[in-house]
Amino acid sequence: MAAYISMGEAHRRITEYLTRFSDAISSQDGKSLSRLLSVSSDSAALLSLADALNTFQDANRVIRQSERFSQYGDILLHVFRALQSYRLKNLAESYMAFEKASNAIIQEFRNWETAWALEALYVIAYEIRILAERADMELASKGKTPEKLKGAGSFLMKVFGVLAGKGPKRVGALYVTCQLFKIYFKLGTVHLCRSVIRSIETARIFDFEEFPVRDKVTYMYYTGRLEVYNENFLAADHKLSYALTYCSTEKEANIRMILKYLVPVKLSIGIFPKASLLEKFNLNEYKDVVLALKRGDLRLLRHALEEHEDRFLRSGVYLVLEKLELQVYQRLVKKIYIMQKERDPNRAHQIKLDVIVKTLRWLDIDMDVDEVECIMAILIYKNLMKGYFAHKSKVVVLSKQDPFPKLNGKPVNA
Amino acid sequence: MANRSRQLYQPRRNNSSSSYSSYSDSTQSKIPKACNQNSNSSSIIYSNKTSSSSSKTGEFTSRIENSNHTDGDQDPPNLIGTCPFMCPVGERERRERLRDLAVFERLHGNPAKTSPALAVKKFSRTISSKDMKASDVRPVPVLEETLNYLLDLLHSSDHPFDVVHDFIFDRTRSIRQDLSMQNIVSDQVIRMYERMVKFHIISYHHLHRSSQTPNTASMSHLNLEQLMKALTTLFSLYEVNRASHSASPNEAEFFSLYLLLHLSPDNQVEPLSLWFRRIPSSVMESRAMSFARRILRYYRLGNYKRFISTTEEEASYLQYCIVEPYISEVRKLAVSCISYGGYKLQPYPVEHLSKILMMKESDVEAFSVDCALETSDDGTGKGLVSTKQAVINKTSKEHNKYYELDSSRIERLCAELPAL
Repeated sequence: MAAYISMGEAHRRITEYLTRFSDAISSQDGKSLSRLLSVSSDSAALLSLADALNTFQDANRVIRQSERFSQYGDILLHVFRALQSYRLKNLAESYMAFEKASNAIIQEFRNWETAWALEALYVIAYEIRILAERADMELASKGKTPEKLKGAGSFLMKVFGVLAGKGPKRVGALYVTCQLFKIYFKLGTVHLCRSVIRSIETARIFDFEEFPVRDKVTYMYYTGRLEVYNENFLAADHKLSYALTYCSTEKEANIRMILKYLVPVKLSIGIFPKASLLEKFNLNEYKDVVLALKRGDLRLLRHALEEHEDRFLRSGVYLVLEKLELQVYQRLVKKIYIMQKERDPNRAHQIKLDVIVKTLRWLDIDMDVDEVECIMAILIYKNLMKGYFAHKSKVVVLSKQDPFPKLNGKPVNA
Repeated sequence: MANRSRQLYQPRRNNSSSSYSSYSDSTQSKIPKACNQNSNSSSIIYSNKTSSSSSKTGEFTSRIENSNHTDGDQDPPNLIGTCPFMCPVGERERRERLRDLAVFERLHGNPAKTSPALAVKKFSRTISSKDMKASDVRPVPVLEETLNYLLDLLHSSDHPFDVVHDFIFDRTRSIRQDLSMQNIVSDQVIRMYERMVKFHIISYHHLHRSSQTPNTASMSHLNLEQLMKALTTLFSLYEVNRASHSASPNEAEFFSLYLLLHLSPDNQVEPLSLWFRRIPSSVMESRAMSFARRILRYYRLGNYKRFISTTEEEASYLQYCIVEPYISEVRKLAVSCISYGGYKLQPYPVEHLSKILMMKESDVEAFSVDCALETSDDGTGKGLVSTKQAVINKTSKEHNKYYELDSSRIERLCAELPAL
């Protein structure tokens, strides 16, 4: 609850903000300007200003008092409205006002020649997203359509357009792109990422290397995730590995997020993470998956998928992990082969389908000989196994040379 | 109670599906309503709204655009239709003059004369909700009667399938148009959408089975497009409905149908992995979804044996309609694997193949020829010859002849058209 403040005090706070605002612009102080716009930061300064605005009620008069302030009247009016609404927990109003303020700032921004105000622009992009998210939550809880986040997406596309030019401001485009990614992922409209990705990756004005590292990492993380969802494992590996390489080592939460997607990708191309890595970053849900792959334990894989099903579905890696079954089968047959080799090296390369049926039954998996033959046929077809199967003798005959080709960093043949 | 006095016509009614009790539908609510309380899930209403090429008037755009124009929390005033006929009078008279009457609308076959009992409002590309007059829009009870009348034609009409399909296709699209302009979510509306989706699925099945001419190919494509639109809208209705009260009993099956339509990565506009995130757990745990997910798994792993046997054992009629087109593809994979990895000196017995692929033996032989594979007879029976060559590419349309699944259960399932 706001403490009581006098009209005089309220007036003072408002004037102080206005002064800081116009000073920031005239001295081209991007950092100060950005602090004045962080509505959702709950900074003491902005909260006390909001209280002042709600007390004073006619801030417009103060703005118009001086040419210094009134030249930014369009911006300030809406910023104040945004702050007031935010303080009164009227988030939909706050978002709408902030969008108007941002729009006015962007108009000015266009005319500022250097990139001094980029930091403030970053804050604007961030606030647009955050305020829209919270506004949508408020709308949904009141039984109305949550459409502010969608609007935020459209607005940020405009901002992107402003930055997509030849000048020094263009290095800000990647940050805005990442905010857009976060919005599209949240809304589930990831197909909208395509156009902005195309702009970043193919437009001649952009040189990827020029962008700040932090933004490049975030960008590669999101585009890497898209590759995972589309099952382009080599591209996913490349992008997520980039993100991992350049991510600051202190940001453990971010590293964990990257690994959450990189681990299934690596597994799909036959590369196993060390148990210590999984433990260090609290990715224990993958422990049994890795173990199942190493042991050829189909029961363990299925159990792991079942146990962590919700989590895997939510992050979107479930289908990728499910497909690892083929590699588990490969490992299982290989283990039988190795055991047979120890017993009788001359006949090891012939494996009776019944032996595989029994092995699976021992793992509580019920498969008849026809299905086992089907799996063997698939493994051979996809080059996970070299050899052939003889239906009449119910046997699979492995090639004497390299019967179980390793994936070697390539995914299983489609 | 119902505005019965406004119903001046008597359309032919299908006994099983009319529901007069739904006139005073107390569960009726208007969208926009609460979509999701859970801040993590995204709103389905937007995520499937890809920039579709067809008319803007369609399914959900009008509502969203309206609410963007208003300031604050005002909901836009919703249109409530008052047209008591299956076709607004003005349109009926205009089309009579222009002789623009479908075969089903002609009174005694007269191409220039129709009647209120026969004329059904056409789909219009060029209407925006702003220009619409209430008297041109049919209220929900009238729309339901219209739907009953249209779906009844599927069973009763003597005309060839594609003529009936075209008519119902267009007129149900108009029904959906009227519904979306009025923005109503209710059990009754949901049930109507479910029936319209069913119609599209039956057509999908029929068109897939019929001979592949450029005409049927384009009908198939358009039908699939509308099927997806209706299904998407249905999902949005489910979501809004779920927030107000309970789930529809058929939800799970319709979600499973969506999944089955998107087994292949080429068909996916939105990656399945993302789509899964938004499904309520009650649906995920249903038998229908469990079936669809297993089919997906078998498809992705290449487990042709289980793909076919599970379909045969467990698919419902609607599920089967959607899975059937994949069966040829899976069978092709099977013969490819067998041809590639089978023992060269012992052709794989056709008899056994016919069991696994659930085809008659004669069909197996014909299918092998379609796939440019050979069978040979060594005295003990016919067998598929292994060639160790990568066999056929999946997309060759000429060799897409479908051979029936040799199963009495499936035969029974497909024998009659289900009640719509």
